[in-house]
Amino acid sequence: MSSTLSAPFWGVFMTYSSKSYIEEKRAYWAMILPAFTIYLLVMAFPIVLSIVLSVSNYSGGKMFGGEKWGFAGFDAYLRVFRDPWFWNALKNNIYIVLVSVFGQLPLGFIFAYFIYAKIVKAPEFWQGVLYVPNIISVIVVGLLWQTIFSPHGPIAEVINSIRVREFQNQLRGIFNAAGGFSLSDDVIQKILDLVGPSGQAIFSDPLIDLRDLLSSFHGEPIEEVYNALGNLFVQKWSPTFLTKSNIAMLPILFVILWMYTGMYLILFLANMQKIDVQIVESARIDGANEGQVMRYIILPALSGTIVNAAILAISGSLSSFALVFAMTGGGPSRVTEILSIYMYNNAFLGRPNFPLANAISLIMVLISFGLILLTKAVEKRYGGKEE
Amino acid sequence: MPEMIKESKSKKILSIIGKAAVYLIMGIFAFMTLYPIFWLIMNSFKTTREFQVSQLALPKSPTLQNYVGAWQIGDFSLLFPNSILYTLGATVGIIFLSLLAGFAFAKLKSKATKPIYNSFIMGILLTTQTLMIPLFLEVNLLGIYNTRFAVLLVYIGAGLPIGIYLSTEYIRAIPSAVVESARIDGAGFFRIFLSIIVPMSVPVATTLAILNITNTWNEFALINILVSKTELKSLPLGIYKFSGSLSSDYGKQFAALTIGMVPMLAFYIIFRKQITKGVAAGAIKG
Repeated sequence: MSSTLSAPFWGVFMTYSSKSYIEEKRAYWAMILPAFTIYLLVMAFPIVLSIVLSVSNYSGGKMFGGEKWGFAGFDAYLRVFRDPWFWNALKNNIYIVLVSVFGQLPLGFIFAYFIYAKIVKAPEFWQGVLYVPNIISVIVVGLLWQTIFSPHGPIAEVINSIRVREFQNQLRGIFNAAGGFSLSDDVIQKILDLVGPSGQAIFSDPLIDLRDLLSSFHGEPIEEVYNALGNLFVQKWSPTFLTKSNIAMLPILFVILWMYTGMYLILFLANMQKIDVQIVESARIDGANEGQVMRYIILPALSGTIVNAAILAISGSLSSFALVFAMTGGGPSRVTEILSIYMYNNAFLGRPNFPLANAISLIMVLISFGLILLTKAVEKRYGGKEE
Repeated sequence: MPEMIKESKSKKILSIIGKAAVYLIMGIFAFMTLYPIFWLIMNSFKTTREFQVSQLALPKSPTLQNYVGAWQIGDFSLLFPNSILYTLGATVGIIFLSLLAGFAFAKLKSKATKPIYNSFIMGILLTTQTLMIPLFLEVNLLGIYNTRFAVLLVYIGAGLPIGIYLSTEYIRAIPSAVVESARIDGAGFFRIFLSIIVPMSVPVATTLAILNITNTWNEFALINILVSKTELKSLPLGIYKFSGSLSSDYGKQFAALTIGMVPMLAFYIIFRKQITKGVAAGAIKG
């Protein structure tokens, strides 16, 4: 605002054009500086800070006027590269990148094409539904799926109810063969065979105890017998998706695929719809089939969008934090740690190691830029050829 | 002739099978999207005991008790207003500052534009979460840890790169003659900004609002390191409380998750068209 107020004052000394020039300069900086200052504070300064701290021996507390700290060399980087947990976290991040680039993108693209080519009806419905996971907080998504994959989730219940039903069907077979409810030796023996040694183990004398148990149901509907025996003998299956260390990453990767595929669908569909309809139609009239339309019209038109999407997927994958934080917290025993959680734990869990955490932060920034440059190079080399 | 008919018939059958397969795949995906959400909301009306006995059936006698409990344990009466404040504050700040800088980049001449604008563009790819440790140390250094100011500052800073990119590109497309003729009429740059550029930029401002409202409302990683006082926390932090020792109280956990989910679901249902457009234009990932 100050520039407009002071303009008349400057006008006394200057010609119109130079007065206008100065006014433009002042307005320019007045407009840029608020945004640029905040940007420097939030993006540039932290990077500088992490460079400084990563080569220091700063151990927390007051940065100035507190305990003395200074240059400590590149020790932190060496320790990061020697730490097997760093490589474990990096590996998990690479899995996430792979699922994003080779899972979300192709699936999103294919779904977008199904809608674009009108292979499915109700385009609004599919778009609307498949995007829903994106608008839910990652924390909610993480905790929701944690429960779904847990022993108290619907997967466990479905599997267990199938097991119970199977068992009850076999029981029904035994009783039907005997012509209804019966306590004959043959029936008792068949039931004992069905439940196996682990089921028999609950009795001290299987033959007698089971007969006692069954006779207590005398006169009641036979369904009661099925239910009681089902509860007694069918072993509950307890899923270990998130607690078994060799498979714990899989549910996380699944949820990441579940969550973001819809975003790429929308991105690709919007860009497919920008393609001139007449080009596609005239190609069809000239006898091009679906595959040729895809190969020579749609893919070239979307090559830029695909590269962009890949870049977004990579930078997004590297920075993901909250989903894993909520779903497993890096567990069981650290196997699902990703770089951001590895960094977070080094800074906030137990004794803080700020040089190490800052070194990890910088490594992540560098990996991010490296991958982005790589994608750009690939685009320059192989993209655009078709145009 | 009959052979041709036969061929077209078998082709038709093939295309019907193909179509069915497409519907099946997309149907499975849609089911996997909607069912967990339905399952969550449905179970939030069951007592924890009922949930442990049956997870798939509808609640026998729906109860709101979980919501009462979750609301209290999560301190949601404090966190809800905070979430609204952070979301609105950051969104308005990002839009205003982005349009302002975008106008300068697009219509005012300066040699500084190229380096500064490019540094913002680089920021699009550099996600702020990567910097959470140095950011945490920085806010402590500046003495603004545990303040709303720091949260808004970081949220605005994180949203500026894409905001400035979209606004600059948009304002560039506005004919320069509009600005020049206003200059000749004697209008100052800020007058032109407020009375010409802002009204013409409503579409891009809407896109930015859409992108930032969902991102900020759901943000967790950054606010997690910026505040520790309950009265400054946002909803995602309150919901996270239900993951630890409270997670075995399923009824309350589901109620808390539903409370966290419903505002954005409602927002999505109301503004679905604009959100879809905004995502296609912005294509940023939270």
